Amino acid sequence: MEVLEKNVMLSLAEKAVQIAQKKGAAEAEAFVYEGTATNVGVERGQINKAERILDQGIGIRVQLNKAIGFAYTNIVDNTAATENAVAKAIAAASASKPDKDWKSLPSRKPYATPEGTFDSRIMELRSEDLVNLASRMLDAASSADKRAFPIEGGAGAGYVSNAVANSNGIAVFDRGTMIECSLAAIAKEKNTVTPVCFEFSAARDNNVAPEWVGKEAVRLAVSTLKTKRVETKTYKLIFTQFALQDLLYYTFINAVKADSVERNQSPFKDKLDAKVGSEALTIFDDGLYPGGLRTGIFDGEGVPHQKTPLLDKGMLRSFLYDNYTAKKQGKESTGNASRAGYLSTPGIEATNFHILPGTKSSDELLREVDDGLLVSYLQGAHSSNPVSGEFSVVATPAWRIRKGKIENSTRGVMLAGNIFELLKNVSAVGNNTRQMGQLVAPWLVVDNVKVIGK
Amino acid sequence: MKDILVKVTEAATQKFGAEYAEVRAQTLNKTSFTMKEGRVEAAKQGIENGVALRVLSKGAWGFASVGSLNAEVLVAAASDACAMARAASLRVKSPAKLAPVKAVEDHVEIKSKRVPSDISIEDKIKNASTINHVALTRDKRVKSCTIDYLDLAGKNYFGNSEGTYIEQDKLYVWSRITASAVQAGVYTYSREEIGSTAGYELFDVQTPEALGESVSKRAVNQLNAKTPKGGTFPVILGPNVVGVFVHEAFGHLAEADLALSGGVLADNMGKKIGSDQVTFYDDGTIDGAFGSFKYDDEGVPAKKTLLIKDGVVTGLMHNRETAQKFNAEPTGNARAEDFRVEPIIRMRNTYMAPRDRTFEELLEGVKFGYFFKSFRGGQANLDGTFQVGIQEAYEVVNGEVGEAVRNASISGSTLETLLKVDAVGKDFELSSGRCGKGQTAFIGDGGPHIRVSEVVVGGSA
Repeated sequence: MEVLEKNVMLSLAEKAVQIAQKKGAAEAEAFVYEGTATNVGVERGQINKAERILDQGIGIRVQLNKAIGFAYTNIVDNTAATENAVAKAIAAASASKPDKDWKSLPSRKPYATPEGTFDSRIMELRSEDLVNLASRMLDAASSADKRAFPIEGGAGAGYVSNAVANSNGIAVFDRGTMIECSLAAIAKEKNTVTPVCFEFSAARDNNVAPEWVGKEAVRLAVSTLKTKRVETKTYKLIFTQFALQDLLYYTFINAVKADSVERNQSPFKDKLDAKVGSEALTIFDDGLYPGGLRTGIFDGEGVPHQKTPLLDKGMLRSFLYDNYTAKKQGKESTGNASRAGYLSTPGIEATNFHILPGTKSSDELLREVDDGLLVSYLQGAHSSNPVSGEFSVVATPAWRIRKGKIENSTRGVMLAGNIFELLKNVSAVGNNTRQMGQLVAPWLVVDNVKVIGK
Repeated sequence: MKDILVKVTEAATQKFGAEYAEVRAQTLNKTSFTMKEGRVEAAKQGIENGVALRVLSKGAWGFASVGSLNAEVLVAAASDACAMARAASLRVKSPAKLAPVKAVEDHVEIKSKRVPSDISIEDKIKNASTINHVALTRDKRVKSCTIDYLDLAGKNYFGNSEGTYIEQDKLYVWSRITASAVQAGVYTYSREEIGSTAGYELFDVQTPEALGESVSKRAVNQLNAKTPKGGTFPVILGPNVVGVFVHEAFGHLAEADLALSGGVLADNMGKKIGSDQVTFYDDGTIDGAFGSFKYDDEGVPAKKTLLIKDGVVTGLMHNRETAQKFNAEPTGNARAEDFRVEPIIRMRNTYMAPRDRTFEELLEGVKFGYFFKSFRGGQANLDGTFQVGIQEAYEVVNGEVGEAVRNASISGSTLETLLKVDAVGKDFELSSGRCGKGQTAFIGDGGPHIRVSEVVVGGSA
C-alpha cells in the first residue's frame, strides 16, 4: 500500500493552520486523515467480493471571537481546496454564537509512545492474501458441522494515519495498522433456524486466528439448535464481552464523560471518590494499552493519550475529558477527544475501556453458578435509558447454566434492570481478557438479575 | 461528467476484462451543527467529492473508492476494482448475475420551496435556538437539551456499461432533538427526530415551538411514571411504534439479501404469516418523504413494493443480483450511503396500510394492557425475534388510557406477533429516521394505530 509520508501529512496540517491564521482566525487547528483498507467479503457461504477504499481529508477548526467554526474537504492534493475549506470554517465561525466558556486550543505536552500499533507486514498484504485468510476461516467453518451455514463475514486489513497541528504549537503524527476477520453463522435442522451467532478476531499486528473464528461461530450456532424456555425469576448471570460492550457503551461509558456529568446526564455527578460499583471492579481508560484497538500516541486534538483510573475497587476516581470540558472546569484533558476521521469535530469518547481481570478461568466462573444464564448477544441495548442506566433487553441466544455447566440454549429471554445497580452486584471477575472495540475485559458474574422468560 | 463516466466504464469492460461496470460520482455539500443548552459546539461545513467503481468479473464483485473526479485516477481505480474482482473470483461457487433492467438516461432535479443552501447558518442556528429555548423553559425539571442539525445537498452521477446515465439531485434536511429531565434521583430522556427530502420547509410543518414542547413534555411526563409489569399483555401501538416494528421486526427480514442468508421469510413466500389485517409496503415514491428517491444506486427506478397483502407474503426488497436469484423484478432498493461504500439492499419508506378502526375502538375491551406511543430504539435478528424499546407509554385500564409508564420494551417473534394483530386503525402517520446496516440510510416508517392481542412486555426490576 502506498501512503502519504509523515512529513507530507504534517506539512498539510501546518499549512492549513497558517492559511487559517492569515485569513484572520484567532486560533486554528488542522486534522489530516488518511485511511486505506482492503476488504474481502463473504456472503452466503462464499467469498464474492473484494474492495479497496482510499479516503483522505482535512478537517479545520477555527476560533473567531470565541465562536467555533469547522469545515472539511476530502481533497488534499491542492492548496485551493484547503483555502476554500478554511474560508468555510471561518464563515461558519462568524455565523455561530460566541461561547464564553471557550478558553483555548490545547498546548504541546510530552508524548509517550505506545507499543504494538503498527505492523509493516499488514501493509504488504494483497487482496489474494485476504482471500486466502477468509478461505481458511470458511473451510474451518464448513468442516466443523454440516448443520451450520456461514451467512456473512469477511477479512480486512487497514492502515490509518493522522496528523494534528494547531496554532498553539502542536504538530504531531501517528499511524497504525489493523487486521480482522469475522463470521456470522446460523444453524438449521428440520424446521429450526437458529439466531445469528457471530465471532471475530482483530489485532493491530498481523496475528489473527481465522480457523478459530470459523469453528467458534459454527460451534455457537449449533449449540443453539436445542433450546428450552426459562422461567421468570432472578438469576445469577455471566456476561461475556459481547454483552458488556453493548450494555456499557450506552450507559456507563456515557456516565463517566465529563460533559455528561456537567449536563446532569450522569448519575455520577457528586459521586467522585464514592462507591459506585462492586469491590471486584477496577477500571481504567487506557489510550496507551499495548496493542489496543484504540491505542495511539494522541487523541483527536493532539493531546497525549494516558491511563486514567475510573473505578478503583468500586470507588469512582475520575471522569473523561477533552480539551474544552477540561479547561471549562479548570482541569486537564485526559486525552479523550475522539473524531470520526476528518469529518467531525472532537467529542469525548473512551479509548480502551479496560476492566482489570481477576484470577478465575471461565470454567471456574461457570462452576460458581448453580442456576443461571450465560449472556452474550443482546438486542436493544441501544434503547437503554442513557441517563438513568435502566435497560430492558433481549438475550438471543443465551445459555442456561446448571450446577456449573452449560446445559442448553434459550431464546428471547428479556433482562431488565439498571446497569448501575448491576455493577454493584458483580460478584466475580474472570481472567479471560478479550478486546472488543473499545472494551478490554474479562467475563463478569453478576448476582440477582431479573429475567423474564415465557 | 458523462464523458468521464463512459470512458471509465469502457476501460473496465474493454481493457480490464469486466463483464459489467458502473461508476457513481458524487459532489456533496453538508452543513451541520450540534447545540447543547443553546451553545453551538461548532458550526460545520463540508465538501465530499468522490467516485465509487463497481465491477463484476468472473462472477465476483470488485469495488474501489477514491476521493477524486480526475479521469486518469478513475481509470486506474477501475483497473484496481477489476483486479479485486479477479482475486475474489478465485473461490466463487455460485457466480453473481444481474437481473436485466432497461437502460435509461435521465436528469432528476429537486425543486425545494426553501432551498437549505439559500438559508444562512445564522438562521438555522436561530431556528435551533428556538427549539432549545422552548424545551428548557416550559418546565424547570428539564435540565438538558441537545439538538443535532444536518442538511446535505449535491448531485449523484451514475453511469454503467449497459448505457444507463443518470444525474440526480440529492437533498436531505434532518434534525434530532433530545432532552433529559431530573427529579428526586429519577432521570428521564426523550427524543424527537424529523427529516425531509423536500427542503427546509420541513420546519414550517413541524415548527420549532412544537418540537421543543413535545420533547420537553415527554421527558417530564416520565418523571412520575411507573415501571411496567413484566409479562404478556394486549397492547395498542401508535404509528411511530408500528413504523419501527414494521421496519425492524419485518422489514429487515424482507430484504432479499437477508432472506437469502437464512432469514425466516425465504421459506414463506406466498404463505400467510399474518392476520387478515396486515398489509405492508416499502415505498420509494412518496413525495418529500425521508426515504424517497427516483433512482437507486444501481440506476433502477424506485418502486412502491407490496411486501405483505392481507397477511400473505407477496414480495421482497431487491437489488439486481437478488432479483435475478429470486426471478423477480428489481425494486430499486440498492442504496449506498456515499462514494466510500457499495450499494446494498436498504429500506425506503416502510409502512403498514391503514384499515377502518378508530382509536377508541382499538381500546375497547382491553381490561389491562399498554398503549405504546413512541419508540426509543429497535433491533431484530434473522431468526425473527425482535425488541423495541419504548420512550412514551401508558397503561390501558378498562378500555381507557391511564397512567404513564417508563422504560418499557416489547419483544417476541415477528411471525407470531403478526398473527396477533387483531385490529388496525384508519389514521396514518410516517416518521423519519436513520437505519444502520454497516452504512447509514435515511428512511421513513409508519402506519396507523394498531392493536396486538398479546405481546411480551419487558419491565424493570
